[in-house]
Amino acid sequence: MNLFEKIFNYKMMAQLDEHGAIAVTTQERRWLLMMLEHPEAASALEADTLARLRQSLGMDDKLQDPERIRGIIVEKAGSVSSSIYHPLMRTLRRMIVNKSGMQLLYSRKDGTILPRQTGVPYKLEYSMVKREWYLLWYNRRTRSLMSTKLRSIQQVQEIPVSAEFFDQAAATLARQLDKRMQHAAIEIIPAYNKELSRILYAFSCFDKQVHYDEQADTYTIKLTFLGDETEYILSKLRFLGLRVRVTDHPFMKFRMREAAQKSLARYGLNLEPAEDNNGVMSAEAE
Amino acid sequence: MDKIQRTLKLFCPLPPSLVTIKESILFLSKGALGNVAKESFDKEIQFLRMLVLTSGAYNRQQFADRLGISVHTFDKTIRRLKDIAGTVQQQAAEEPNKAMSDMLRTSYYESADPLLLFLFRSKSLKESESYRLSLIIAVLQEQSLTSLEILDLCSEGMPEELSLPDEKTIRSDLKYLEQAGVIRRLAGGRPQKYTAHNDFVSELTDEELSDLYAFVDVMANTQVPSVQGYLLRDSLKKAMRRRQLPDGASDLFLYKYHYHSRILDEAHLYTIMQAIEARRKLSFHYFTPKSNQSYHSKNTNPLFARQSEGRLIEMLPLKVAYDHQYGRWYLLGYSSGRSGVAIFRMEGLTQLEESVLVNEEEYQAKLASLERNTQFSWLVDMGRPVEVKVRFFNPFGAKRNFIKERVLLQGQWGVITEQDEESFLFEITVNGTQEIKPWLRSFGSSCEVLEPSVLRRELIKEWKELAAYYEPVRKNIQLQDDGTA
Repeated sequence: MNLFEKIFNYKMMAQLDEHGAIAVTTQERRWLLMMLEHPEAASALEADTLARLRQSLGMDDKLQDPERIRGIIVEKAGSVSSSIYHPLMRTLRRMIVNKSGMQLLYSRKDGTILPRQTGVPYKLEYSMVKREWYLLWYNRRTRSLMSTKLRSIQQVQEIPVSAEFFDQAAATLARQLDKRMQHAAIEIIPAYNKELSRILYAFSCFDKQVHYDEQADTYTIKLTFLGDETEYILSKLRFLGLRVRVTDHPFMKFRMREAAQKSLARYGLNLEPAEDNNGVMSAEAE
Repeated sequence: MDKIQRTLKLFCPLPPSLVTIKESILFLSKGALGNVAKESFDKEIQFLRMLVLTSGAYNRQQFADRLGISVHTFDKTIRRLKDIAGTVQQQAAEEPNKAMSDMLRTSYYESADPLLLFLFRSKSLKESESYRLSLIIAVLQEQSLTSLEILDLCSEGMPEELSLPDEKTIRSDLKYLEQAGVIRRLAGGRPQKYTAHNDFVSELTDEELSDLYAFVDVMANTQVPSVQGYLLRDSLKKAMRRRQLPDGASDLFLYKYHYHSRILDEAHLYTIMQAIEARRKLSFHYFTPKSNQSYHSKNTNPLFARQSEGRLIEMLPLKVAYDHQYGRWYLLGYSSGRSGVAIFRMEGLTQLEESVLVNEEEYQAKLASLERNTQFSWLVDMGRPVEVKVRFFNPFGAKRNFIKERVLLQGQWGVITEQDEESFLFEITVNGTQEIKPWLRSFGSSCEVLEPSVLRRELIKEWKELAAYYEPVRKNIQLQDDGTA
């Protein structure tokens, strides 16, 4: 098995496209069969579809033992995933594709159930860190972007909306997301330049640009992120410890200083407190 | 949402401490991803990894200087990569005049298309061959034909400038396509008939196809290995477009915090698996990520002759490990050196080849020993097991206990032993403390290390130094000698 097949060549793909043809190799079918063995498959596909796919792929002698690649892989430091495929995903995906509106019944973080809300479903988002699916949607009443865990949704009901309304809502959300964008600059402490690879790997899951100051031999990572991602970035910064320092983002600088002081306090060492930050509650380790 | 396209700029600086892969560029520029006898793709892997990790802003000249190549060579390489990216990414092709860096941006929040997949689309192929193969696949889409019928149709369909195929060529093409599993031979007598091996897709209803596409998308994005899943997803997307299903038009699923470069290392996965299954050793030239260099070309270019070739390693492969904390792969096994147990970062492997056989008994003994040694590895550390005892503090005044949720989610085999309203104790046995330390530190003041005392002291020292990083700037700024501030 070779991932560098002629058949995957980019010109091949373009020409197949021109001819309106598709080409699927044994290794792709083997991968699919392996994934169909996964318990999640039952939530993703109708029982009948799943059975037919398994049968049709299973007849192929070349696909014997599709799980063997899994046998050599050990996954480390991952999050426990409860379920990758939430039962509501199919319903919601269809609603987005059909540009429908919806009525939503869901519970808040503290467990209380809110009255029914109406709005427009927009995207489904998965966090690799929290192993959780979220529905991004437009709330008609507040006219704003909402992010709700699929797990918290009690009920969703399709309601028709005009195509104009759907598109307007989507455009509003795009604008709101744009406005929520923040930037931060993070400097790699030059003494740790030999660990550059590790540090850049750690930041490779963010939207970033890197600047290099040749004279100072200093790398600066410029992050662009949504405001609600600040907590995760802070946990990454604490994860990397002395290797990096926030140089531009007052709130994150404050929070890093606060984390250091509070941590030292846990160990019985007190430094002068970080300046008050208008009562913003810290939520470390989110 | 297009406006929120996020950068993972592809063409960017290669910092000196990460690499100097002059040869990558050189290689890419020569017939690029090109016509060499045996393509190893080591260079492309190293090259693309650098591009993704160090997204930044050198100008052409600086870039070329750093790599020791001419600007002309650099430009040629970029053009080549643009060509591939443009073909692979429709969007890029639609905007040919966009600046290179913009064009090669992958939209971070919007699209789950892994740009790096084009590594696996870079196998060299002559134009006549790619045209012929795609034509064969096309004529076999919804019918079955004999090789002579295929020959006729191909001869009709080939553009004038390309040479006409003969029967022998068609037969060898059919053999290749059958081996790759793209087409299959129908049961029955001679003359034999062939058809495209797509039944499992074409038999699906529109709704089933949409469901399958979504399933493949989710699994490719959340599971390892993923490359074949991404390749399959591209094909299913095309099938949906042919049926004019709206799903194929845009990405409905977003995936946050993906380590994109992880898919580059999958290139080695199958070579390693085959070696493990065949009970064979592997040999390779290893470049530790800490060295300044991650690749050495076999090209006899005098400019680069002085560079070292990495360390030649021969080892018995047993497992590969995927580290979710950094999105990195490791190769685990035994080498005959003093250390015995051997761990290698996949990104440092080049010129990977199978070598000698080992007997089953030896293999099983080594595997059992490896499993024993890695039983308590937070990642891959095989150091002495240490008992780590930590107190986690519940968040004060929060609606839910996100500290405990995260510990349960990520704490691997550790256990919560005691708890009260304010805090809980977490205990875990790990090989050495180096690998678990960053995770503990990431909890900030919600975590207090109790044991071992060495780790406790280390964290106190680090927090002190971190506090110093963020000391407020003193009001009495010292004036420079000339009196200006």
